[in-house]
Amino acid sequence: MTLLEVNDLTVRFYTQEGVVTAVDDLSYRIDPGEKFGVVGESGAGKSVTALSLMRLIDNPGRIESGEIMFKGQNLLELSESEIRSIRGNEISMIFQDAQTALNPVYTVGEQISEAIRHHLDYDNEEAKARTIQLLDQVGIPEPETRYSDYPHEFSGGMQQRAVIAMALSCDPDLLLCDEPTTALDVTIETQILDLIESLADETDTAVQLITHDLGVIADVCDRVMVMYAGKPVEKAPVEELYYDPKHPYTVGLMSSIPRVGDRRDRLQTIPGTMPDLVELPPGCSFHPRCPFAEEACTRIEPELVTVDGSATTATADTERAAACLEYTGELEDGLDYEVHVTDGHDPISQSNADHRSEEPDNVH
Amino acid sequence: MRRIYESNALRREDGPFTPGEQEESSRPRRNGDGDASRFSRLLVPDRLAELSISVSVSTDRETYPVGAPIPFTVTMKNAMPFSVSIPTVSPILWNWSVDGVTEASRVRLRDPPDEPDVFGFTRGERKQFQKRWPQAFRVSDREWEYVSPGTYTIGAGLNVADPVGSGLYDETIVEIVDR
Ligand SMILES: Nc1ncnc2c1ncn2[C@@H]1O[C@H](COP(=O)(O)OP(=O)(O)OP(=O)(O)O)[C@@H](O)[C@H]1O
Ligand code: SF4
Ligand SMILES: [Mg+2]
Repeated sequence: MTLLEVNDLTVRFYTQEGVVTAVDDLSYRIDPGEKFGVVGESGAGKSVTALSLMRLIDNPGRIESGEIMFKGQNLLELSESEIRSIRGNEISMIFQDAQTALNPVYTVGEQISEAIRHHLDYDNEEAKARTIQLLDQVGIPEPETRYSDYPHEFSGGMQQRAVIAMALSCDPDLLLCDEPTTALDVTIETQILDLIESLADETDTAVQLITHDLGVIADVCDRVMVMYAGKPVEKAPVEELYYDPKHPYTVGLMSSIPRVGDRRDRLQTIPGTMPDLVELPPGCSFHPRCPFAEEACTRIEPELVTVDGSATTATADTERAAACLEYTGELEDGLDYEVHVTDGHDPISQSNADHRSEEPDNVH
Repeated sequence: MRRIYESNALRREDGPFTPGEQEESSRPRRNGDGDASRFSRLLVPDRLAELSISVSVSTDRETYPVGAPIPFTVTMKNAMPFSVSIPTVSPILWNWSVDGVTEASRVRLRDPPDEPDVFGFTRGERKQFQKRWPQAFRVSDREWEYVSPGTYTIGAGLNVADPVGSGLYDETIVEIVDR
């Protein structure tokens, strides 16, 4: 059974500079307990997508079309009070600016307890007991004592653990994690990711994990969606994305995968920057940066289609799809790259066969 | 590029499940000084408001080689020493066009919400927007056609019922020539 199904979601911002289409016709689904990754450069629309699921987009932003089916009901049709009872309860979110999730004037324990009382109808004693248990679960030592600490008495990593405890306090079915580790240093980053992963497994919570970093996705997720300029450009199960990426943008991301924790200039190997979403170039939005761009790419916008040769338009259920003219037969010279995955001592090589082949893994 | 967490388009409420409140001053505003210009609408009749605002469109050059995107600048100015706001027919506050074709698209790109809005200008405010026309018309949902050499009119106007008649429109002519 599908937990979440997003169909043709479009979110726009009506700004002075023009209309920004931050999320353009996006469809995907997440099954119960599944870990779904969303990856893409800054400004690709990852946060706007997640915040739309929580119905937290406000003026001048508008969720303009589409549906968000969660356990069979369309979240976009719920009343404000109905969505409030889902938010934080059945769907919770770790925000990109997570520091602001903790209120500095209340103790950490009190804030988590409050959330539990609010959603689960526990009395004070029960809520406190449950909070201490949660703090313990997310790896906060001496949880009884730390219950009464204020957020500033916690280190950055501890604060993030508390935020995770709060997000999991009502045993949600879906946890949205928006770059949950950006503010943290390397070793803590790995610990936090492991924590999210193991807690999600234990409680069978589905996770939508947003990141810039394909390396993080590889460690944690089952399936991935790659976004570029508000649009999905590739969807795939994780291993397939790694061994056989179908979209040139994904290939660019791959050649810049840092190991988890390596914070050197991510994505710097794709020259250029993502276009401003108020003014996308004609044709394929990626064409100004694509090493395989041809004349057709400047006039035809590729559709997200299956890559098996049938070029069927992708829906939320499509497992494997890419948005490149290669898959609709509209590219003359085709794509030409090789992927070398180095797994310890064991280099595995996969070539995007049909054309003359170029050397190393870095296509540029 | 603006990011959602840095804007006020993100609902921030009390309670643990929305992101916390940010400093008010760090949040960019959309419409001049927002509430103040809204208020002035009560005082300034629409006709006077229209007369207060001027629109101009300009390009750096008169001719461009075929294939080169054409940058143009749209400038709007409020001549009045008080704030003014112009009611617009939808949340799209203004439009640009080529040969009368909105955003150079022969297909309707979007269905803006059917709700009036207002475009606010603080006193004496000058707004300037840089745009680029890639020398192409969008001819279907997923296709564009690049144009041939010739003359083309680039226009811009506020999104009111009759921008030309209200004096809230301007245009300029460019020539595209063979290289
Ligand atoms: N308040 C706003 N006003 C106008 N446009 C906005 C606003 N908020 C976001 N956008 C647009 O939405 C796009 C997507 O923003 P979003 O914050 O979702 O990006 P992101 O993929 O999460 O990036 P990052 O990795 O930097 O967090 C941006 O490129 C921007 O153009
Ligand atoms: S459609 Fe063209 S520009 Fe876009 S990704 Fe494919 S080859 Fe590159
Ligand atoms: Mg983001």
